[in-house]
Amino acid sequence: MEKNRLEISRLVNRFGFGPKPGEFSANLKVGLEKTQNKILSNPETDTGLKTIKDLTLSDLGPRPKPNSAGVIDFAVARRNQQAQLTLWWLDRMVLGDYGLKEKMTWFWHGHWATSINKVDFPLVMYKQNQTLRANSLGNFKTMSRAMINDGALQIWLDGQTNSVKSPNENLGRELMELFTIGVNRYSEDDVKAAARALTGYQVVRSNGEVTVNQRRRDTNPITILGSTNTFTGDSLSDFLVDRPDCQNFIAERIWYRFISSTEPMPANFASKKAFSNREIYPAITAAAKSDLLANSKYELVKSPVEWFVSACRALEIVPSKLETSERLFNYLDKLGQVPFAPPNVGGWPAEAAWLSSATSLYRIDFANWLIKRSQLQALRNIPVSNRVIESQNWLGIFQWSERTKSTLNSASSDPAQFALLALCSPEYVVSA
Amino acid sequence: MLKVTRRKFLQYTGGSVATGLFAPLLNIEDISAAAISRPLPPNTPILVLITLYGGNDGINTVIPYTDSIYYSSRPEVSYKAETMLPLDSELALNPAMKGLKGLWDQNKVAIIRGVGYPNPDYSHFSSMAKWQTGSPDRHVNTGWLGRWIDSQPEDPLLAISLGSVLPPLLAGAKRSGSALPLGGLVVPTGSLAYQCAQLSQPIKGESKLMAAAATSMRNLFNLSETVQPILKTPVLNAPDLPTINGGNAGGDNNLAQQLDVVGKLIAANAPTKVWSVSLGGFDTHADEANAQASLLGVVSDSVTRFMSQLKTTTRAEDVTIMIYSEFGRRVAANGSQGTDHGTSGPVFIVGNGVKGGYYGDQPSLKNLIKGDLAITTDFRDIYATVIEGILKSPVETSLGQWQGRVKFLKPVSSALG
Repeated sequence: MEKNRLEISRLVNRFGFGPKPGEFSANLKVGLEKTQNKILSNPETDTGLKTIKDLTLSDLGPRPKPNSAGVIDFAVARRNQQAQLTLWWLDRMVLGDYGLKEKMTWFWHGHWATSINKVDFPLVMYKQNQTLRANSLGNFKTMSRAMINDGALQIWLDGQTNSVKSPNENLGRELMELFTIGVNRYSEDDVKAAARALTGYQVVRSNGEVTVNQRRRDTNPITILGSTNTFTGDSLSDFLVDRPDCQNFIAERIWYRFISSTEPMPANFASKKAFSNREIYPAITAAAKSDLLANSKYELVKSPVEWFVSACRALEIVPSKLETSERLFNYLDKLGQVPFAPPNVGGWPAEAAWLSSATSLYRIDFANWLIKRSQLQALRNIPVSNRVIESQNWLGIFQWSERTKSTLNSASSDPAQFALLALCSPEYVVSA
Repeated sequence: MLKVTRRKFLQYTGGSVATGLFAPLLNIEDISAAAISRPLPPNTPILVLITLYGGNDGINTVIPYTDSIYYSSRPEVSYKAETMLPLDSELALNPAMKGLKGLWDQNKVAIIRGVGYPNPDYSHFSSMAKWQTGSPDRHVNTGWLGRWIDSQPEDPLLAISLGSVLPPLLAGAKRSGSALPLGGLVVPTGSLAYQCAQLSQPIKGESKLMAAAATSMRNLFNLSETVQPILKTPVLNAPDLPTINGGNAGGDNNLAQQLDVVGKLIAANAPTKVWSVSLGGFDTHADEANAQASLLGVVSDSVTRFMSQLKTTTRAEDVTIMIYSEFGRRVAANGSQGTDHGTSGPVFIVGNGVKGGYYGDQPSLKNLIKGDLAITTDFRDIYATVIEGILKSPVETSLGQWQGRVKFLKPVSSALG
């Protein structure tokens, strides 16, 4: 077996969205270090994305009253915008030659998990996505401030109802628990204090514009995590991000999504130290270059979107061209993961949650549907006698088990059946 | 946050299933209802667990309607006394829970008050994890029923959750309950089925996740061959309810659909002792009164309909329903016409084998602990009673030496022996 095959397989699947045809063989050829550098490079332009048109979503204005004249047109326009937005993002994941930025945007979407089901307006979700993308490899303090001022997050966590007269704890609690320092690292009094610091935000629902209404703000000093001060939302965000717990927490989240969701993070995990200035790029670089990637026990399961995107890359399918997109969204929904619609503010689960009998069934059905929409060119180009072995490189697999090899062998002269079994195999569903 | 659903609570260790389970015969067309080949023995108790995700406001569910503090502490989130459904001179059910009130009047509902655990956690995720693992003091990777599943003979049909992702309460260390999506499972047939079977064979020494991936595919075929024919049968009749447009009222929601499927499978004598269903959306930080009433209406209507359906089966006496949520909510409203996360709440136990009435002390609205209700019953008292009284198993495997019990079950009549 090629040197560093396990690490290279994990790099392309975890820090990107899996290989396009030919990519994995090329990575093996240049070796681990050059693959790391390729995976971690974040060029200004990505030629893979050049065919994707810029997305423009109009402000739909206030939602018409129930049973009024404009309500149907509104609903149709909203639905179209949501489909456009989702396909635009999936296309970016599938077509990019440098996947890190998109992968990190996806990671942060699961971190600051906000759902269109409450936010309602696709334009507002799009703006949040732009904020996440712009900051995805930047400074976490800047990102956290930007998110406090993000219309979608404010609506999602009832920020606009939080005022000096009637505090609402939702955003304050989740800011600490899920976004910056992690659960059990603060008291209930700290939650109440954070809520007071976050009073006054107002949001235009249809376009996500955020303003602060000074009359709704609680400007009294608060005591939070032992410090007494007058805080604004911005300074509260800075204060929390500066806490040592934030360094630990974000390292834990990187560990959980890029290294292992089942094993605990070791105290000396390199991303933690690399995050000391709250810079995201060094932290993710440290994870990608960690020799822990060579340890077979650190497995991850591909989430449904990751599985779908990597399958599209291998099958050379463009999501926005799939007939029909309703069918596509329906499959993602059944598998439990639709972009812009996480189940709750904690984001999506990991690991064995994606491995139920039901998801295994939908995966088979979904794969079957996708394969019918692909020429399977990359697979057909491999001579029948080499298909079992060479398909490992086509899909960026570490290695097929004996069980999978013999199954694939029995289907090697039928490319569609072969592809179906390969995409549903335990070795593909689990990222080594 | 709009919706806390079961999908979040899923970080358990994927248990691998041993090799004996694998059945090579996969073509469902060849198989009629396999439940008939090994039906649940008559009079076997069955547990149906209903999880309400998001933190149901207990104070607006079982309402202290004659306590003036109730009205003064949440003027915009309280209901009008005349719309409530009084249970006695102190407590009333939410106005939307007419069906459950009817069952209460028939002594089929136990209301356990003030249920929680020590050192309440206000995070949805942590608190639900404590409830579902049954281990509030330390984190474990198994569910309280998952540990019971571990102690039972292996059977993928023993405990089933409706929906495509499995809640952690059914995750054991060795094996877990099965997940059954609402639409049922229509699996591949022919050579693909054979190849899927090959692809999901267990391998010795395989890693945990790889084994879990293989197991999930293997279980799919096992579950499907048994269950699919039953799912094709029509929904059970609910003789107590008025018929609307050829069907019973109340079916137009996901909880009712989940319970319809459970009802069909119970009627078909599926060898399943534990069913898990759920409803999300109880995180009512804003505009609570209407939202919660509509959700509680769904719970009440679905349960009533399910109880009525069971009358057409031989299992009406065997089924016990338990309804719970991860925490209650703060006594005082938050000013967005909603309530923030709180502590204890009521647990409902419903069934013909239940001794109706109150259990546990009603937490005072006056003597609060940091603005929150006291906890008067530990949820492990209820779990222990369920494991002993319904699942007929020793408590130790699931809850260790836990001593507390709540006597909400009728003594087993000797006629059943």
